[in-house]
Amino acid sequence: MTGLKLSNVRKTYGVLEVIKDVSLEVKPKEFVVFVGPSGCGKSTLLRMIAGLEKITAGDLEIGGKRMNEVEPSKRGIAMVFQSYALYPHLTVRENMGFALRFAGVPKNEIIKQVDAAAQTLELGALMDRRPGELSGGQRQRVAIGRAIVRKPEVFLFDEPLSNLDAELRVHMRIELARLHKSLAATVIYVTHDQVEAMTLADKIVVMRNGLISQVGSPLDVYDNPDNMFVAGFIGSPKINFIKGVVDGVSKSGLTVVLPGYQDAKVTFATKNSSVPVGDSVTVGLRPQHFNTTGKMKFKLNVELVEHLGGESFVYAGNGSGDLITVATQEGRGLKSGQKFDAHIDPAKALLFDANGQRVR
Amino acid sequence: MVYTLLSIAAFVSVFPFLWLIVGATNISSDILSGKTTPGHALFDNIVKLTQQVDLVQLFYNSTKIAVISTILTLIVASLAGYGFEIFKSKFSERVFAGLLAMLSVPFAALMIPLFVTMAQLHLINTHTAVILPTVASIFVIFYFRQASKSFPMELRDAARVDGLREWQIFLFVYMPVMRSTYAAATIITFMASWNNYLWPLIVLQTNEMKTITLAVASLLSAYVPDYGVVMVATTLATLPTLLIFFILQRQFVQGLLGSLK
Ligand SMILES: Nc1ncnc2c1ncn2[C@@H]1O[C@H](COP(=O)(O)OP(=O)(O)OP(=O)(O)O)[C@@H](O)[C@H]1O
Ligand SMILES: [Mg+2]
Repeated sequence: MTGLKLSNVRKTYGVLEVIKDVSLEVKPKEFVVFVGPSGCGKSTLLRMIAGLEKITAGDLEIGGKRMNEVEPSKRGIAMVFQSYALYPHLTVRENMGFALRFAGVPKNEIIKQVDAAAQTLELGALMDRRPGELSGGQRQRVAIGRAIVRKPEVFLFDEPLSNLDAELRVHMRIELARLHKSLAATVIYVTHDQVEAMTLADKIVVMRNGLISQVGSPLDVYDNPDNMFVAGFIGSPKINFIKGVVDGVSKSGLTVVLPGYQDAKVTFATKNSSVPVGDSVTVGLRPQHFNTTGKMKFKLNVELVEHLGGESFVYAGNGSGDLITVATQEGRGLKSGQKFDAHIDPAKALLFDANGQRVR
Repeated sequence: MVYTLLSIAAFVSVFPFLWLIVGATNISSDILSGKTTPGHALFDNIVKLTQQVDLVQLFYNSTKIAVISTILTLIVASLAGYGFEIFKSKFSERVFAGLLAMLSVPFAALMIPLFVTMAQLHLINTHTAVILPTVASIFVIFYFRQASKSFPMELRDAARVDGLREWQIFLFVYMPVMRSTYAAATIITFMASWNNYLWPLIVLQTNEMKTITLAVASLLSAYVPDYGVVMVATTLATLPTLLIFFILQRQFVQGLLGSLK
């Protein structure tokens, strides 16, 4: 089984540096997801691993061998593209056997392997159709089938589900997770959908502006973001950021004043009290962490309520302009304009310094 | 109202063709007097035509030139158009701009240098001399480059991951995917070659080398042209291009339906 290692990898287009010094280790059989906002370099990094883009500097190792200059087809990888990239003039069967045909595999062997992959993905009835005669989900399955047939050590996916409708996306997501288990292969998966990232990944790689912002398990990245960017990117609805100023530093922790909320003072227990008095900080509060008993209390007015059925999202403010998002099970009766007290346990709060780095 | 206009337009565009076919069945004096009904002289006209020119040789020459020229032009132009679009660089963009600029040079200005070149290569009065200058058709290169913009780049990536070399991608992915483009380009190039008049007139000097288009023109320039014969010859000369058009039109539509959907 094959892992993968990137060491100080860079990519420049002319003077534009798109990937800036990325180092990452992917263990065998791991499901790694690259997430990040549009244009942060996820696809570029994936294409560098695939061999479709030259690596400007740094090393790429797949299975312990340096692969910088190796042709895509000799890297032991297979790729599934966002647009599926099926050959429109070939049938499903021919599409799936295409790589083997050019690798000089004998005909009956191709048939055997294609049929095996077709069985895994339940493509039996579609084998003699052309891609133009398939639905989006079916094309997606064929694209995955084409990748499986090559028996790669590493699967690369570039936003494979983004062209599907919501329902099908959930369905394919589950199928992908199952497939990963049964194939026991290494997967690198690019998406900007954080739900996909959270549900599929063993390891999430959050990227920003060509750099890795944080690497960790889904829950790790959610519970312990290294910085404001990761905290803001992972989690839905988005985390609330509230501005504050350090008012006192003591053994028990940092006392922070919240100017937007009647100068309320909150003490956050922390061992790391390197932030001096007077510095501004940001308090991050997850919408899901609000309750009716927490020590920290916000007196708010409801501006808008979104009912999702089981859960409601309450957007409430205190007139100063900023809205706080609260996720609650008991929001059914709430109407805009109503008074609303949001409580939260200070122990649940995340604290960031003026540079957006995590303090606590 | 719309239908009336369309009918008039259709009639105007079809009339010369009908008149050509009707004319082929009449004798010269009837055509000149404006007779528009079919006559009985078709067979006579054909016989007269075959007495004046070697039809088989003419068709053979025209077909040979048009087929070879079309095949070579398509190969060269599609490779070039694909290359210009896929392997873009500052340098290649400049070369392409230069090519486009050359489109504005009229053929009349190139004729004499071209003739001198052919003479030095000892190619005067050969079919090679007719074919060679048409092969690197800037217009067809441009056409293929524009069409290549619709060729999905991810297909090329997929093919690279599947282990195809660049020439294999061109041969086994690009060409079949773009077959409707090839069909359209075939029609354009074949017709242009078949109807090419000026350059063949200059370089082809003996009768056994000439094309059907040249022969038709020379019938017209006789002291007293026999218009019945001219009409028959013109009809015959038009048939192959029509044929190509109808054969490929079907594939053209098929290509659109079957491939990029
Ligand atoms: N061939 C290229 N030449 C110049 N710049 C490029 C090229 N390809 C990509 N870029 C730039 O590199 C950056 C990263 O692009 P990339 O496609 O990797 O983003 P991404 O994270 O995949 O975004 P998305 O989520 O929108 O797909 C972008 O700013 C893009 O403009
Ligand atoms: Mg992308």
